[in-house]
This record gives sequence, structure tokens and C-alpha cells, in this order.
Amino acid sequence: MAKAGSLEKGMAILVKGDPYIIVEREFVNPGKGSAFVRTKLKNPTTGQVLRETMKTQDQVEEIVVEDKDCQYLYADDESYHFMDLDTYEQFEVSVKSFEDYRLLMKEGDTYTLVMWENKPLDIKVPYKVVYKVTKAEDAVKGDTVTGATKVVEVETGLTVKVPIFIKEGEKILVNTETKEYVERVNS
Amino acid sequence: MNFETARKRSAVTGGIRNFFNRRGYLEVETPVLSPGLIPESPIEIFETQLRDENLGNRPLYLVPSPEVHMKKLLAAGSGNIFQICKSFRNLEQAGKHHNPEFTMLEWYTVEADYHDSIETTAELFTELAERFRCPHIAPPFRRMSIHEIFREYAGIDLELTASAAQLMEACNRLKLLHTPPAGPVCWEEIYHRVFLTHIEPRLPVDRPLILSDYPRQIPCLARDIPGTPWKERWELYISGIEIANCYSEETDPVKVEQFCMRENARKAALSSVVPDVDRDFLEIFRQGYPKSSGAALGVDRLVMAITGEASIGGVIFFPISDIVGR
Repeated sequence: MAKAGSLEKGMAILVKGDPYIIVEREFVNPGKGSAFVRTKLKNPTTGQVLRETMKTQDQVEEIVVEDKDCQYLYADDESYHFMDLDTYEQFEVSVKSFEDYRLLMKEGDTYTLVMWENKPLDIKVPYKVVYKVTKAEDAVKGDTVTGATKVVEVETGLTVKVPIFIKEGEKILVNTETKEYVERVNS
Repeated sequence: MNFETARKRSAVTGGIRNFFNRRGYLEVETPVLSPGLIPESPIEIFETQLRDENLGNRPLYLVPSPEVHMKKLLAAGSGNIFQICKSFRNLEQAGKHHNPEFTMLEWYTVEADYHDSIETTAELFTELAERFRCPHIAPPFRRMSIHEIFREYAGIDLELTASAAQLMEACNRLKLLHTPPAGPVCWEEIYHRVFLTHIEPRLPVDRPLILSDYPRQIPCLARDIPGTPWKERWELYISGIEIANCYSEETDPVKVEQFCMRENARKAALSSVVPDVDRDFLEIFRQGYPKSSGAALGVDRLVMAITGEASIGGVIFFPISDIVGR
């Protein structure tokens, strides 16, 4: 058990038996009220987001989460297959809770998994990642109908809106949170 | 804080001073050290020691606001008064909007109520908005009541949920709270949890917002609105941050004493620093306290709004996080 006032971003707590990661945390002192901590919590398995305000003195059930570096091997219909880089053991993570990630993770890359009691709660994908463009149509010169952008597909199957000068085989930097093009990368 | 911001800050406090001087308010300086205070249970007080050969050794407390002494001046016939001074609050988790030592503007107007204070605030902000070219603090202020915002943003009619049990029932029904408090909880705490989670983050921020008519269940020295469960109190929000608090002042000595005794008892249960209730303070109400309205405004937060600084450390020299080792 821990005091709500000691909670920090990245820590995890149980709410009605389910694990939630603290995504945002702010201390608030209303004019005629006691000290509160206002939080945004995310259940990494279901994706559900909760907003909750607790008194800093309230007891909360903190759970210990562990970061594990793992290599992403491949995905099939049911699971993502990872290799624990400490033990070289292979294990599976159900695709169901992390559907989005199929289009973001590159085979062979290392990702940090947030583990609780040997169950993966979250997969941390870097904020910006370089992807190779695998499908792009050359823009027709003078084609003003579609404007200055076009849609391409990258190595993971993710589609991204990019400037028309981006060609197949080129590398682009993408913001994995917004799935938006950031810039072209020269290899 | 850099010197450019400091120059702006100086111009703001100068502008405030000038505003109240022109309106005939007397600028006063009252003690920051006091042997007794107005008890406010949620506020933690800084304590120190007087060591005096004649007066003896005794605890003294740093005021959380100048209210206790300014009201004595008002009772003594000062007329309209204002003060810009340091106030102190401990254990408030210094962060973007708090520093344990901060600057308060507090003013009292006789023969006035909280509506009049809105007018004065609007006039002050009109001048500041023009002088500092920040239209986002200029009137007209948006006006909403607590009753309204709870209905609109939380779906709760506070007039129908007067007891803690009723309010909790409404919260459970609407699934507003996910970590139900262990053990008995008071109405105030449930109110604040709902307000802070579901309402405050969603308040309109396009213009300064006056939230008025606060529930009677939150103890404070504001007059009741007769025949209603509300009090004559408002708070001013700018960009989602509370910046000022104002009352039509309670003048009934019985109510003032009840408030002080109850808050002191609550404080004794919550804290290790429990200042005495200032006895002179209670006395002024027994002698007949003038009808008046008082307003307290956080000057640091006002300067933040005017300069666009996101953190209080950007508008004060040596914020606590800088001068105290980690």
C-alpha cells in the first residue's frame, strides 16, 4: 500500500482489482479543501482510461511493475512473439490487447515490456520511429487535386500521410503516438 | 524569473496599487507573524517562536492570508482598505501553481457585497488587460454558479444531494468515482473529488470565469444566501486556474464563533500545528462588524496569466524548489 500523494507517472496501482498505469498526475489544493492528487489512469490491457482524484493521504494499492527489454520476433494471428533479452526465453503476448502495435513494431527491434507478475501490461514503443516506405505511388507532376501529400505504406503495414516527394524505398520518421509523418531520414 | 518578467511584475503590482489608491482605498500593512489565526482546517501553517524577555517565549504563526488583521481594521473604522503582502501555506506540494510563500492582494470594501466586488475586479482587469495587452484577462467575465456546473458537467443536482450519503449515492449511480474512499467520508470531500476530476478540467477557459454561490456544506466566513443552500462567495478562474476568492463577509458573531470552533477542532484532528483562534478576531463581531465584502487574489498567478508564464517559478525570484536542496 502506498499513499496517493507518493504516486508518480509510470507507477502502477490496482483499481477494483485491475492494474492501471499512472499516465498523468497533478497535485491540487482547492481553496477550501484538503490536498488532493488528480490522476489519469490507463489500463494497458483494455485501454480504458480513468480520471480519478484522491486525497494525498488516501491509501492505494501499488503494484510493482518491471521493465523488460525484449526483442520482437514476429506476429501470427493470435500472438506477438518476443524474446527476453536477459534469459533468451521466447514468449507470447496476446494480440488482442495490443492490436494497434502490429503496425508499429518492426521485427528484430527491441522494445521495453512493462511486466506485472509475469504478465505484460504495456509495450513501450519509442515516441518516434524510422520506417522504410514499402509502397508508394510516384506523384504525377502538376497533380493539384490531391494537394501536396499522399498516402504511403511502410514496412509494418502502417499507412502514413506524407509529402509527395517521398519515394518507395526511402526512410521516414513517424510519430508513433499520432501516426504522423515527421521528416525524411537520409540513411 | 528573468529581469524582463520582473519588470512586468513590478508594473503589475504598481498598476494594482495605483488602481486602489485612485479609488480611495487605504493601503495597509498588517503583521505577517501572529499568535492567533482564523482557523482553516485544510491549510497547514508555518510556526515559529517568539523569544522576548518581557513578553516571554511563545509560538507565533505565519499568516496564510492577511484577513485576520485586516478585518480588525475594518471593524475599527478604517474604511476601504487593501494590501499586497506575503502569505504562507505549508505542505501544499510546491508545483506549477504553488509556492509556500506567495503574494496576496486582499481588499475590503464597506457597504458592499460580493456582487460589488465582481465590479471592482472587472474594472481592475479592464485596466490591466489594456495596459499589458492581454485581452484574455479582460471582462466580460463568464458567470456560472456551482449549482449549474455540477448539473452540466457531472449530472448532479446539489440541491437534491445535501447529505454525504445522498451525494455518494449519486456518484455511484453515475459512476463518477472509481476509488471509493475507505470508511466514512464527508460531503466536502466527495464534492471536491467530483469537482476536481470531472468539472474543473472542463471549465471554459476562453474568458475569465466567475464561479459563484458556493454550497453551505463547505465552511467559510461568507454570508448565507437566505432561503437557499448557497453562500455569497465567488472564485475567479483564469485559464482553468483559481486566482481569486471573495465573500460577502459573515457578520453574525454566533456564526463566526461556530465556524472558528469547528474548524479548530477539525484542525486539531488533522495536524500537528494548531494555532490558537485569535480572540480579538471573535470580539470584533460581537461589537458589530460592518457589512462588507473582501476579496483575496493570488498576485503571482495573476502575473502568470499576464506574462504567459506556465509555472510560478517563472514569476518569482528564488522559488522554493530552487533554494531548497532536493
